[in-house]
Amino acid sequence: MKSLLKTFATASVVALAATATVAQDWTPPGPIKMMVAFRAGGGADTHARLIAEELEKRHGWQIIPEEVAGRGGLNMAIALKDAPADGTVIGMAVSTVFTYVMEASPSAGLSLDDYTPLATTAAFQMGVVADASRGWKTIDDAFSAAQDGEQLSFGVAGPQLADMAYLLGEANGVDFNIVSLRGGRAVLDAITAGDVDMGFVAGIQGKGVAAGDLVNLASAISEPLDQSPDAPLLLDRGLEFPSNGRFIFAAPAGIPDEARQAISDAIIAVVSDPETEAGALVDRAFGGPATASGVELDAFMQDDLVSSRALLEAASQ
Amino acid sequence: MGALDYIWMGILAVLQGPEFFSILGVGVSVTIVMVALGFLLGVAVGATPGLGGPIAMAISLPILVSIFGFTPDALLPVMGFLIGIMKGATIGGAVPAILFNTPGTPDAYLTTLDGYPMTENGEARKALRVAHFSSVTGDTFSDVVLIVCAPFLALLVESYLDLPEKAALLILSLSFIAAAVGGSPAKGLISTGLGLLAAYIGTGEDFYPRLTGGSEALQSGLPLVSVILGALIIGSVIYEMTTYWRERGRAERAQRQQKRQGQGLSFALIRKLLPYIGRSAVAGTIIGALPGIGSTLAATIGYALGRARYAKTKHPDDPEFGQGAPEGVASTEAANSSVSGANLIPVLSLGIPGNAAAVFLILAAESIGGFTPGPSVFKFTTDQVNPELVIAFGLFTCMFLANFLNWTVGGVIMRSMGVMTRIPKQILLPCVLMLTLTAIYVQETAMAAVWITLAFGVMGYLMRVFGISPLPFMVAFILGGRLEETLRQAFSATGSDPWFLLNNPIAAAFMGLAALTVIIALRQDRRSSFSERKA
Repeated sequence: MKSLLKTFATASVVALAATATVAQDWTPPGPIKMMVAFRAGGGADTHARLIAEELEKRHGWQIIPEEVAGRGGLNMAIALKDAPADGTVIGMAVSTVFTYVMEASPSAGLSLDDYTPLATTAAFQMGVVADASRGWKTIDDAFSAAQDGEQLSFGVAGPQLADMAYLLGEANGVDFNIVSLRGGRAVLDAITAGDVDMGFVAGIQGKGVAAGDLVNLASAISEPLDQSPDAPLLLDRGLEFPSNGRFIFAAPAGIPDEARQAISDAIIAVVSDPETEAGALVDRAFGGPATASGVELDAFMQDDLVSSRALLEAASQ
Repeated sequence: MGALDYIWMGILAVLQGPEFFSILGVGVSVTIVMVALGFLLGVAVGATPGLGGPIAMAISLPILVSIFGFTPDALLPVMGFLIGIMKGATIGGAVPAILFNTPGTPDAYLTTLDGYPMTENGEARKALRVAHFSSVTGDTFSDVVLIVCAPFLALLVESYLDLPEKAALLILSLSFIAAAVGGSPAKGLISTGLGLLAAYIGTGEDFYPRLTGGSEALQSGLPLVSVILGALIIGSVIYEMTTYWRERGRAERAQRQQKRQGQGLSFALIRKLLPYIGRSAVAGTIIGALPGIGSTLAATIGYALGRARYAKTKHPDDPEFGQGAPEGVASTEAANSSVSGANLIPVLSLGIPGNAAAVFLILAAESIGGFTPGPSVFKFTTDQVNPELVIAFGLFTCMFLANFLNWTVGGVIMRSMGVMTRIPKQILLPCVLMLTLTAIYVQETAMAAVWITLAFGVMGYLMRVFGISPLPFMVAFILGGRLEETLRQAFSATGSDPWFLLNNPIAAAFMGLAALTVIIALRQDRRSSFSERKA
């Protein structure tokens, strides 16, 4: 009898411990495939790989990063949609892939509902950048150059920024020649090489601005840029749509809640810790972490979806 | 940060990279080891008929990338290995040509003209020494020109060329390659067109996948390695196999007696050879700097220059050119080796590959990331380090490291490689086939990539059967994406002007030259086929 009680007691302790670990210490049923929607070697890709390394170190999960770049992130989204929803496949992209890009390409047949957003890691210090040798101080100088008859070209990476550049021009009576380039690095290179007069750059202009080679003409986000607080907001220049994309990790829809929470918490803990390589990179290149998860993230994505629809509507008129 | 600082950082990046092992407490960096290994492999494959530098580079690239990963740290070891192969294969190619009259590559054919008669006269070792010395001299000369010219040319391009001019320059390079490579310009244009067609599958700026016929495997475009390795290696393996099948049992080899004395390179001989080497090196370097022409024409021109000089200066009792004159070997080898360094001038300064070896260096840079060959590499920024420039000088260091190996131990290794020519093709070719498919699966981890490789292998085979060179195909496939992007950007930057390629002088000049190269090549082609018919 005594031994039976003992067995029962042990069993219940084990069972209790097991339930407790489900919430706190979820472990993936196998290696996690991390699909990265950016070309290997760039800042975004490095950020994802550093997070993967740190997650492996902290939790003992095995994570396999894989490049699934192309078509503005849609290739990754297509691959992620049909992947198993058990935490073994996650994707990393810009949040606008799940909002603007999917809305802009209905033929792909994807929507935000096909995915579970896990966590955002960083926001962008998106500014309108020009070479300092142009002599412009703010975006208003560029507007007056254009109104004096100069043809200005505007470099953008992706159709959402192209729409924004178009609407910005329209609001200020300027007809920009909008040049679509592959990635923010390409926009920055085109500005330095003199191929375009200005362009949207999301943070990598920092060193050039500090050195005085480049100028932030305006802030494209909803607040002033950390580095150039005096640059006017595009929101004050007639553009109603701020660029509020973030780096985001997502899973297919239907992932179990404990898996969602465990992965989200783990990612946020890594990027919020400046001691980690990933955290240091986010501090250095993206002005510190911008994290959100759970209900807060769901609300953020819904807001962005509404704003994306409005942008598409405005730009198509 | 001045230019000298960058050069020094590039050298240090090679010498002080991640340590592989240490001798007496002095660490040997992994890049040095990789250059040396690549060099050894290069000499071996160069000396093996049926293989060659590009094939070895193609197979090793996916394997190396999966070993070293996708970090910027991987760039120098991987590209160093490829450079080692490139350099080694250049000297290795002369071995079968001289010893067995079986040129492994088209440009080694001219080496057989004087090299094999020397072997028949019992002077095989001397012929190999002459080939080695000329080859290394030409190669080193060409590298020096590369290092001096590439940054200069890149800066020139960046400051004078805007988007329309850059687009026109890409069109010019493609039409130049189409017109200059292979038998006829029409075949070159077909090859280029096929390359562009393949490049446009599943790519582009739109959100819908174009030209995929609804196939999901094609949605993110054709995998680069599958297309290139399929067209180049699988195509040539199938072709070699069918040729072997037809010509089985015909080849037989005689063992030659070696003379005991007079096999060394005396200073008198070197002095006699230097004028030939010098001319050939200059000719080869100039030709190498033009994208797409490659070493075969350089060897031909070097040989012709050598023959002209030899006719004027030869002693009555010297052997005739083509009958065992060391000068003939020297002229050919110096010319075709001096192409390799100069060939990287358009790669590093413009991002335009000129030959198969350059294709694989670009492929390596693209698969690993963090280094985009092109004008942006040579920005001598002073306030912060430009990592790409450090890599560029690291690559130059690798080249000189390989040259150093070539000068010191290259000759010995080369002379020991005669054995490679005895590997039977029926064993070699299936091994190459299996290695290639494995390498592709390792990098892409999808069976679709293997099927695509085989499909392009069939295409590569058919191209060889019809005498169409796969090089324009490969270059067009690599440049296709950039051509489309640059054209789109130039079009929008000029405010959607439909005449953007023609209404500014530099772009118009490039377009005119592009049309002219094709027209001239067509006329020459017609004239030569006309005279053939007459004869």
